[in-house]
Amino acid sequence: MDKKLLQYKGSKQVMAWVGLLTVAQSIAIVFQAIYLAKAITQLFHGVVWTIALESFAVFAIAHIVRHLCQWGKERIAYRFAEQTALHYQRMLVEKVFEIGPHLIGKHGSGNLVTLALEGIPKFKKYLELFIPRVLSMAIIPAVLLVYVFTMDIMSGVTLLVVMPILIIFLILIGLVSQNKIDAQMDTYRLLSRHFVDSLRGLVTLKYLGRSKAHEQAIATVSDKYRIATNRSLRYAFMSSFSLDFFSSLSIAVVAVELGLRLINGTVFLEPALTILILAPEYFMPVRDLGNDFHATMDGKEASEQIRGILDEKTSGIDNEVTSTSQWSDTSRLTVNGLTKQVDEGQLILKQLNFKVKGFQKIGIVGRSGAGKSTLIDMLSGFTAPTAGEMTLDGVNIEGFGFPDWQNQMMYIPQYPTVFSDTVAGNIRFYEPEASDEEVEHVAKQVGLMALIETFPNGFNEKIGQGGRSLSGGEEQRIAVARSLLQNRSILLFDEPTAHLDIETEHGMKEMLLPILEDKLVFFATHRLHWMENMDSIIVLEDGRIVETGTHDELLHAGGAYACLIEAHRRGMKI
Amino acid sequence: MNTFQSYVMPYVKKYKKLIVATIFLGTLSVLSAAMLTFTSGYLISRASERPETILLVYVPIVAVRTFGISRAVLRYLERLLGHNAVLKILSEMRVKLYRALEPQALFINSRFTTGDLLGTLADDIEHLQDVYIRTIFPTLIGLFLFVFATLSLAIFDWVFALVMAFCLAVIVVVYPLLSLYILKKRQLESKVLHSRLYETLTDAIFGISDWIISGRKEQFVDTFMKDSHASHEAEKKLSYWHQSRTLQLQVFSGLLVIIVGVWAGFQAAQGEILPIYIAAFTLVTMPIIEGLIPLSHAIERIPAYEESLRRVDRIHKFGGAIEVTDGSTFSEKHANIEISNVSYRYEGQQRYAVENFSLLIPQGQKIAILGKSGSGKSTLIQLLLGALAPTDGQISVNGHQSAEYGETIYDMMSVLNQKPYLFATTVENNIRLGKRDATTEEIEQVVAQVRLDAYIHSLPDKLRTQMEETGQRFSGGERQRIALARILLKDTPCVILDEPTVGLDPETEYALVDTMLETLKDKTVIWITHHLTGIESMDHVIFMDEGEIAMQGTHDELMESNERYRQLYKLDRG
Repeated sequence: MDKKLLQYKGSKQVMAWVGLLTVAQSIAIVFQAIYLAKAITQLFHGVVWTIALESFAVFAIAHIVRHLCQWGKERIAYRFAEQTALHYQRMLVEKVFEIGPHLIGKHGSGNLVTLALEGIPKFKKYLELFIPRVLSMAIIPAVLLVYVFTMDIMSGVTLLVVMPILIIFLILIGLVSQNKIDAQMDTYRLLSRHFVDSLRGLVTLKYLGRSKAHEQAIATVSDKYRIATNRSLRYAFMSSFSLDFFSSLSIAVVAVELGLRLINGTVFLEPALTILILAPEYFMPVRDLGNDFHATMDGKEASEQIRGILDEKTSGIDNEVTSTSQWSDTSRLTVNGLTKQVDEGQLILKQLNFKVKGFQKIGIVGRSGAGKSTLIDMLSGFTAPTAGEMTLDGVNIEGFGFPDWQNQMMYIPQYPTVFSDTVAGNIRFYEPEASDEEVEHVAKQVGLMALIETFPNGFNEKIGQGGRSLSGGEEQRIAVARSLLQNRSILLFDEPTAHLDIETEHGMKEMLLPILEDKLVFFATHRLHWMENMDSIIVLEDGRIVETGTHDELLHAGGAYACLIEAHRRGMKI
Repeated sequence: MNTFQSYVMPYVKKYKKLIVATIFLGTLSVLSAAMLTFTSGYLISRASERPETILLVYVPIVAVRTFGISRAVLRYLERLLGHNAVLKILSEMRVKLYRALEPQALFINSRFTTGDLLGTLADDIEHLQDVYIRTIFPTLIGLFLFVFATLSLAIFDWVFALVMAFCLAVIVVVYPLLSLYILKKRQLESKVLHSRLYETLTDAIFGISDWIISGRKEQFVDTFMKDSHASHEAEKKLSYWHQSRTLQLQVFSGLLVIIVGVWAGFQAAQGEILPIYIAAFTLVTMPIIEGLIPLSHAIERIPAYEESLRRVDRIHKFGGAIEVTDGSTFSEKHANIEISNVSYRYEGQQRYAVENFSLLIPQGQKIAILGKSGSGKSTLIQLLLGALAPTDGQISVNGHQSAEYGETIYDMMSVLNQKPYLFATTVENNIRLGKRDATTEEIEQVVAQVRLDAYIHSLPDKLRTQMEETGQRFSGGERQRIALARILLKDTPCVILDEPTVGLDPETEYALVDTMLETLKDKTVIWITHHLTGIESMDHVIFMDEGEIAMQGTHDELMESNERYRQLYKLDRG
C-alpha cells in the first residue's frame, strides 16, 4: 500500500466512500449469488416459474446494486484522481517557472514536458485505479470468504488456502521473470533502439553510401529483436498465466469437491450452487489488480518523479526583495565575493568583485568553461549565487532573481526563443498592449522590415514551431526588437553571435551597436571583435577575474586578454 | 480506412496461418472459461441427484478439471503466438518504411517540417502493434465466441438461439459501433486539446527566460491550466462514457441471465432438456458475455491508429518522387569536378536557389564556400552529389554527369556535415562504417590521425566504448573527430565539409580545422564554412549570395582587392 496516497487532499474521504461502496458491493455479490442459486434450484425442482421469477427479481436487484456500486466507486475515484492530478500539474508547472532555466537544464526540457503532460495522466490513472482496486482486493474476498465459511467449511478452506499460494506464486514468478528480463535488458534495449537509430542516422548512412545495404541490417536486427522479445515475453506472461491457472484450477477443485459431497449428501444443491457462483467472484479482485499492475506502477513512478521535482529547492531568493530604482546613469551596482558552487561541490565562480556605475558596456571574455555563462545567468537572476554581497544603489540584494530587476532587463542568449505566434505577437511578447506603429518602429530599428515585407501576411505571418522558420540572425533580431519595445535599460548577452555566419554577424553588429548606447550592457562572448566597443572588459579564467580594463589597456598589458587575442589570430595572414 | 487497407490487411493475409492459430487458441481459451462454468454447473446439478456411483459423474469431473487448466494454458499460448505474429509484421513494416524513406533521406528535413519526425515514425510503427493485439484479435475472438454460442444454443432450440443472437448483437454489434461513432469525435477533440497543450508547454519551456523576465509567468500558468482543464474535461467525458457503458452492459447481461434461466426452466418443464442443464445454461451466460464486452473497447480504438497510419502513409506517398539510379561503377581514385552554368530552381519557387554557377575543381584543390544561410550553398552540395538534377547547365565528375553515378558517387565524395550521426554502438563500429573490412590497425591509424588516440585509449573500454544514446558521452569536437575518422577510413578522393564547426567554441574550432586541413591535404576539399578560420590555407575562396558568386579568388587576392572581404576578415579574427 502506497502511504503517500493518504497525503493527497481528500484521499481519506474518498477511501471511506469507496470502502463503503465496496462493502455494499460485496454484500450485493453475495445476495446475487444466493438468489441466482435459489432461482436455479427452484427451476431444477420444477417449481412454478413465477416463483422462480421472484428469486430472479431479487438477483436482478442485487446485480444492479452491485454494478451501481462499481459505477459509483469509479466516479468517485475518477473525480478525486482528476482534481489531484490537476492540482499537481499546476504545482509542477509553477515550480518549473519558479526555478526556471536551471531546473530545465538539469532535467531536460523534453523530460519536463513529458512529465507534465504524460506523467500527470499516468499519475491520474494510478489514483483512479489504485484506490478502488486495492479496497476491492481487501474487502470483497474477505466478505465472500466469510459467507462461504458459514455455508460450507471445506470450500471455504480451499479458497482460503489458494489465495496465499496464488500470491506467493505471483511474487515468485514476478521475481524470476524480472531477473530473466533484466538479464537480457541490455541486448534488448540495443536491438529496440536500432530502428530509431537507423532512421535518425539515415542522412549519415546515405553520405557513407551505406543506406541501401542497411536495409538488410534492419531486417536482420528486427528479427533478432523479435526473437529476444519472444524470449522475454515467455517470462513476462508467466504472472498472468499463474493468476489464471490457480484461480481457474481452484474453481475446478471447489466444483469437484462440492460434486463429490453432493453425492454423499453432505451438502445441498442450493448452497453448492451459491458457492460455485461466488468462487470466480472471489478471485476477480486479484485478477483485476494483476491486469492493471503495469498501469499502476507507471503511475506510481510518475508520481515519485513529480514529487522529486516539487521537492527541489527554489533559487532561495526572497521574492519580497525589491528595489524600486530604475537603472539610470547614476545607478551603482557593486558585487563583492560573488561565488557559485554547483551541486557537485565544484566552484564555477570564485570570489568575483566588480563595480558598475551608470550606463556602461561590459564585455565578459575567457576560454570555454571559464564561467562566462554562469556569470550572465547570475546577473539575469536565473541562477542564485552561493555567496557574495551585492548592493544596488546602496540597497543590499541577495541575488538578481527579483521582478524589479528582471523587468528592466533584456536577456539574449545564443538561441533566443521564437514563440509559435505571429511576427507581431513575438515582438509584442513583453508588451502585449503595444500598438502596431510601435511594433513597426522597432522592427525597422532592428532591420527586420525587409524580411517582413517578403511575407505574404506581413506582421501577421506565423513564425516559430509550425510556422515559417527564421535564420539565426533573424531570430536574434526578433529578440532584440522584443525588448526594444519596452526600452529596457539593462542588456545581457550570452554568446549571441557564435553560431552565425560572418556576414550575418557583421550585419548584427551594425544593428546592435547603436542600441547598446545609454544602456547597462553585459556582453559575454568568444568573438573578441566586440570588445573594442566595450567600455570595460572582465577577463575570466577558471572562475576568477584575472583582468579588467579596456581593450587597448589589456592588449598592451600583455596578460590573459592579450593571450586570448593571440590564440584567436593564430595562422592569420595580413 | 484506406490506410487500414494498405497497411494492415496485406500483413493479415501474409501471416494468415499465424493469425488464424492465434485466434483459434484465443477462442478456445474463452470457451474453456465458459465450459468450466457450464460443466461445473452440470456436475453439481447431476451430483445433487445422488447417482448410484461416482463413475456416472466421472466425465464431468474430468471435464471440469481439464477446463480449469486449459483456460490458462491456452491463453498463455495465444498471447505468445499472437505477439510473435505481430513482431514479424512489425519487422516487415520497419523494412518497408525504411525502403520508402531511404531514397528521400537528404530531403526529409526540408519536406516534412518540425519535430523529430523520424523518431515519431519509429514510434508509430511500434504503436501499430495495437492494431492487431488490441483490436483485430479481440474482435475476431469475440465474433467467434458469439457464433459458437449461438450455434450451440441452436442445437437445443433454434428459435431461442435466434432471439439470443439478437440480444447478444446489442453487445457485439450495437455498442461497438455506437462507441466508434460517438467516441470518434470526442477522441479527436481530446487529442487536439492535448497536442495543443504540448505545443504551448514546449514553447513556453524553451522560452522560459522570456516568460520570467517579461514578468508574465503567472499569466502563462493561468492560461495553461485553463487549457489543461479543458483537456481534462474532454477526457472526463470519455471516461464517464466508458463507466456508464460498462454499467449498461452489465445490467443488460444480468437481464440476459434471467432470460436464459427462465428459458431453461421452461425447456426442462416441457421435457426438452434435462433439468440438470438449467444451472449449466444459466451460469454459462455470464462468462460468455464477459468474453463479448471487450469488443466495444477493441472497436473504438480504431480512430487512434489512423494518425500513425497517416504519417506512415505520407512518407510512402513521397516515396516515388526521386529516382536514384543504381549507377554503373565509375568510381575512380580521383575526382575532377566541372560545374558549368548550373542553375537550379526548387519546384514552385520563383527564385533560383543556384544561378548560372560555374566552377572547375581539379583533383586536390581546396575550395572554401562562404555565404549567408539561404545563399544556395546546400543546394550546390545536393547538385554535386546528384541528389538534385540541375534545371540548367551541367555538373560532371571525371566527365560523367554526377547524377549518373547514383549511389556510387559516395565512393568518390564523402560529406562531413554539421551534425554527423553517431550510432548507438561502439566507437569502433562507428568508424568502421567508413570501410566495412577495415583492420584494427587501419582504425587505430585514423583515430591517431584525428588526434583522438590518447583520449580513446584513456577510456576503460577504448575503441569498444559505447557511444551512448546519440553519442552524448563525447563532446561536439570529439564527435566531429570520430566522424572525420570514419571519412578518412573511407578514403574518397573528394571530401565535402558542410559547416562542420558550427556550434563549437573558437578553440575547439581552430583545433578541428587544423586537424581537418592536415588529414585531408591530399584530397579535394570543398569546405562550406561560416567563419574565416583556416581560410588562409585554401586555394580558392568563393562568397555566394542569392545563388550566385558574389566574390572569389585566393585569400591573398581578396585581401588585396576586396574591401568587404578585408572587413569581414578583420571582424572574424578580432
